[in-house]
Order: sequence, then C-alpha cells, then structure tokens
Amino acid sequence: MLKRTSGFLVLLLLVLAVVPVSAQDEVTLVVWDNFTREAETTMIEALNAQFEEANPGVTVQRETYLTEDLTTVLPTALTETSGPDVAMINQGASNMGALVQAGLLLPLNDYADQYDWWNRYGAGLHARNSFSEDGAEFGVGNVYGVSNTAEVVGVFYWREDFEELGLEVPATLEELDAVLAALKDSGRTPIMFGSLDGWPAIHTLGAIQHSFATVEEVDAFTFGTEGGTFDTEANLLGAQKFLEWIAAGYFPDGFEGLDYDNASLSGFINHETSLWITGSWAAGNIIPELGEEPIGFFLFPPATADAPPLNIGGVGLAYGVRATSANPDVAAAYIDFITGSDAAAVLLENGFLPAAEVDTDVVAEGTLTADVVAAWNTISQGNAVGHYWDWTIPDMAPYIQELIAGVITPEDFIATVEADYTAE
Amino acid sequence: MTLPSSASHLSTPKSKRGSGRPFARPYQAYLFLAPGLLLYLVFVFYPIINTARYSLFDWTGFSEPVYIGLENYTELFADNDFWKSIGNNFFFVTFYTILPILLALFLTALLTRSKLRGMSIYRTGLFIPQVMSSVVVGIIWRWLLGPTGPINEFLRLIGLGGLVQPWLGSFTYAPIAVGLVGTWYEYGLCMVLFIAGAQSIDQELYDAARIFGANAWQEFRYVTLPSLRPQILVAFVLTFIAAMRVFDMVFVLTGGGPGKQTYVTSLLIYEEAFQRNRAGYASAIAVVVTIIIIVVSLTVNYVQSRDGSQEVDI
Repeated sequence: MLKRTSGFLVLLLLVLAVVPVSAQDEVTLVVWDNFTREAETTMIEALNAQFEEANPGVTVQRETYLTEDLTTVLPTALTETSGPDVAMINQGASNMGALVQAGLLLPLNDYADQYDWWNRYGAGLHARNSFSEDGAEFGVGNVYGVSNTAEVVGVFYWREDFEELGLEVPATLEELDAVLAALKDSGRTPIMFGSLDGWPAIHTLGAIQHSFATVEEVDAFTFGTEGGTFDTEANLLGAQKFLEWIAAGYFPDGFEGLDYDNASLSGFINHETSLWITGSWAAGNIIPELGEEPIGFFLFPPATADAPPLNIGGVGLAYGVRATSANPDVAAAYIDFITGSDAAAVLLENGFLPAAEVDTDVVAEGTLTADVVAAWNTISQGNAVGHYWDWTIPDMAPYIQELIAGVITPEDFIATVEADYTAE
Repeated sequence: MTLPSSASHLSTPKSKRGSGRPFARPYQAYLFLAPGLLLYLVFVFYPIINTARYSLFDWTGFSEPVYIGLENYTELFADNDFWKSIGNNFFFVTFYTILPILLALFLTALLTRSKLRGMSIYRTGLFIPQVMSSVVVGIIWRWLLGPTGPINEFLRLIGLGGLVQPWLGSFTYAPIAVGLVGTWYEYGLCMVLFIAGAQSIDQELYDAARIFGANAWQEFRYVTLPSLRPQILVAFVLTFIAAMRVFDMVFVLTGGGPGKQTYVTSLLIYEEAFQRNRAGYASAIAVVVTIIIIVVSLTVNYVQSRDGSQEVDI
C-alpha cells in the first residue's frame, strides 16, 4: 500500500514538474519591421516590451530591415518555417499581391471580425491591404494586413517665414503659387526638393498632380479598375505646373543632385528652404531637432477652391501573418496590440501618425503634431486619400527624372507612363 | 544569378613533368583537391547551373516554377531596358578597363623608372581605393560630387563657378562621373599588376636600350610595354568583368538614374528578381551577361596563347 502510495506520489511530482512548463506556453514571436531610424527603434522596442509584459511567456524577437530590403528578403523568408511570424508588408501588386498569389500570407478576416479591426480606421483604407484570394485583384477580397501608421504627403513650412511675410496657409493652388512667388521675391528658396534618389520626385510631382485630380481617377488608376488611366488632364496640368516651378527657381540649385536623407531632410531642418513637400513621417525627424513649434504642416491645396484637398497618403506598411506560422493567434494578438489605441498614443508621442483615428483634443494646439493629425483626419474622413504612382508604375522615378531633365515633354511623359501602364 | 568572379582559368601554371610520382596512388591527388572542389561545386558551379535552369522558367523566386522554354530570352531581346543597360555596361568598360590600364601604365612608368624617396608610400597610397569597400567609395564620392560638395566648392573657389554641376543628377555628366569613380577604384589593381610585372623585366634590356640612346618614352614603348603584355591582358579581363558586373557603386551613387542614364544589367537583374518578382527573367539576363564575359575572357586567352607569350600567374 505504502509502495503504491509512494509510487503515486512520485508520479504526481513528475506531473507537477512537467505541467507548469507546458502551461506557461513559451512562445517566441518573430517580428520583422522597418523601424530602422533611431527614434523609430526606441519607440518600437518600448511597445514590444509592453506587449511582452501583457502576455507572459511571449518573447518578441525583432528583426529590422530597410523597406527596400524587406521587399527583397521577405518573400523567401516567408517560405521558411523559421521565417517571421509577423512582418510589415509593403502594399501593391508586386509586393503584397505577389505574396498572396504565392499563398504565403494568412487571410486575416476572421481575426479582423474577432478584434473588430474594421473600425480601426476608415473602411475604404482596408482596400489597400486587400487582394482577391489568387492575388490578382487589388483592393478587393480578403484583408492580409493591418497598418498601425498612416501617412500623408503634404507641405511642411517654417512658420516664421509666413509670419515675416504676412502669408497665410494657402487654401487653393493659386494661393500656393502666390506664397511661392512671395517667398522667392524675399530671396528665399521656396521648396526643398532633391531628385537624386528618384522617389522624392514621385511625391513632389504626385502632390501637384493630385491637386488637379479626383479621388475616382487616382483610385481607378491604382487599383486597375475600368477606366483606369494616367492620360488625364489633371496629370498633364500637374506635370506642366511642376516644370513651371522648376523654371521659376522654386527648388534649390542643383536639386537633381540632392538626396533625401542627407541633403533634403537636413537642409530643411537648417532652414535652407521655407517649404518641403514630403510625407508626414518627416515629423518624426523634425520634432526631435526643432521641437513642435517652428514648423507647421498643411495639406497640398486643391486646384479648384471647392474641391476636397486630395493628397497622396494612406496607411503605412501593413502587419501580416505568415501562412505557415505556428502561432497565428499570438501573431494576431500582437497585431491587435501594435495597431490598437495604446500603441497609437505611443506612436503619436514619438511624432508618428497613427492609422487609428486620433482625437485632436489630446494634442496641443499650434504644434506640428496637431497639424499633421488634423491633416490626416481631414483626408481620411473626407475620402480624399490619394496614391503613390510607383505602386502602379515601378519605373515612375526614371520617367520623372527624364521630365525634369527636359529629355521628354509633359505630353511625352504622360504618353510614356500610359504606355507602361497599358503594357502590363 | 552568379557571375564568374575571377579569371582563374587564365592562370594555368604548367606542372613540371618529372619522373617521380608525387602520389603512390592517383586518387590521393583527388583527396587533396576535394575540399576546394566541393566548395567550388556548391557555391559557384551549382548556382550557375541553377541560374541557367531557372532562366527557362516563369518563376517569381518563391512560386512554383513553370517551364516556358526560351520565352524569357525572346522577351529579353525585345526589352529596351536590357539594351540600354548592356549599352551602359559597355560604356563603363571605357572607364573601368581602358582608362585604368592607361593610367596604371603611366604610373608604372613613373614609379619604376626612377628611385623616388618614399616609394612604398606612393604605391600604397595609390592602391588604397582598390582595397576599400565599394559601398564606402560610393558614399564618399556621392558626397564629393554633391551640388554643394567639395568638388563644386573647389570650382567656385578658383573662379570656375560656371562649371558647377549636380554631377550625379545630370543627364549628361552622371554617366561620366560614375565612370570616373570606377576608374579611381580600378586603376590600383592594374597598377599593382604592372609594377609586379615590370620588376621582373630584365634590367639588361633597359641597359641595352640606353646604350642605343633610347629616351624615356622609347624605353617605355619598346621595353616596358611589350614585356607587360601578359599583365595587361589579365588586367583587361579582370576589369572588363568588373565593368560588366558593376552594381554596388552605381546603386549607391545614382541608383541607375537620372532616368536610366547609369542603369546597368546588374541593376536590371536586381530589380527584376527582387522588386518585380521575375526571378526566371532575371536569370536569363544573368546568363546572357555571363556568356558575354566568358566569350571575352576566352578571346583574350586565345590571343595570349596564340602569341606564345609566357603565361602569367596572378
């Protein structure tokens, strides 16, 4: 009897010794992100620590890549069982679309229902992370990612220049033209711009073209729906206006040889120009250097006074889940956390624009953050979020560089892009 | 997508035919070869063969490959970007191959002819670009060539402000600027090859030339230059391969722009494979570039062996 009892006790001890380990459910969640800059790294590591604290037993193993490298390395990594469970995925047919086509991403619709991700930001914006199951159709079908940041390409400006010259934030393109002329006349270089890297040219020219365009036009072009074309009056007028600004000397001397990170960013922070047309992400670099006050942000104004201010923008890279991930539930919990309201507050604190709608009351008036949040809320609520041209035309930057160099006319430029667009 | 990285087939030292047998059993020789051969097979030969195989498939790099025969190649030969980029590669041959060889010959003539004090410092200094990481070289030159960089500031300083250019962003000057950076990078290799070659030239040849009253130019033309012929051919092949493979420098300096003025085949391969998810098509481009390199290398090898000149080890 004693023997049996002691045998039972030994067994019980064994079970007790084993159970806590398995109950603790040690999970390592591999997450790939693109937060490579210093401010971004600090922020995301703090957020990950919060998630680990709220989910005992879960370790977030973070790997970070430049966005370009993410595009290159991610597809093969997603085919491996040791690949990332959660990864930030660039939108567009050649990125997310190709991954969906290869069956590498988990459709997130069920989790989206469970966590109510649908109302996290404007319903129309989920289209940017959606594809048909075969990956062929963009903007429809399953949702494959949720974004935590948003971005809007607008205009940063030095408030003191506007005050000195008695200028107002322009409400129309015509008013903006007047602002530029006044800045130029005062001996300033109006707009920071460098086209060496190529992609900033897509933002600057794109912003001007969106000013003339309607959201229906740019949606049709980007999602490839019927009637989608680049050959529009708006795009031609935008290209002509762009060349007009070059000819007027509104950009820095030798802007063809200026890059983004070194020349443009530091140049604007050093007050070499009064304005800078770029994405809201630059606030994350400007605020640590200059604080909240000296710089403001406004939406690129529409060409016609009563039109909504259509600006390039959208939700940032989307968090998706590897189709073969062993821990999809933990992955979804991470996405819920990183795109949720707690994270949004931290994002905002760090100069990022959260995708989730932000209450403008929580930010101090007259700050850069307030301007950026207000701009995003305006276009997000007003269904006036435009698109980056290179999502659709990967060669857009070289074409714009040809336009800048005068190798092709605005008419040739439209025809070249249209030919590329219809060749697919 | 592996391009041959050396011209090792150029250097085949002739084994001495002795009577003694170095190995008791012939397979022992293969045992010693095995480790190197295995590495070569796994990391060079296998990827090359696979690249050639994938060039016959429609493949994103992570999808199920679909066999399409030579379709990638027919598309390639109708692709304007391909012709533009291969044209740029040949344009860069001038700067990566011809100019470095000429410059290195000039420097060799200078450095070997007379006894300069601190000779080794000059040699080392002149060779430094070659041992630097090409990405570092690219970043340095991007700064030097910037609109307000030291080169433009220097031009302004000496009153030549009219010549100031956004070098890397200019349609006209970007290819030349990128090319000259390549020249700066490659001449060191040629120079070291030539100096090594020049040191093995028999001093008596120079003595004889001087007795016949040769001046410096004639000494160079009739003694140094002919003696350096094997080294020049090796330098040609190595730098030609560099010109055809150039990627990192262009990627850092201009990204292939402005427009497609400095766009080269390796950028096209990179973009097709990793940005447009067309790994099969990218493989086809790599195969064509590899064939061009092989043909040129073999031609040079043939020229060299036909002349019966001595083989050269590098």
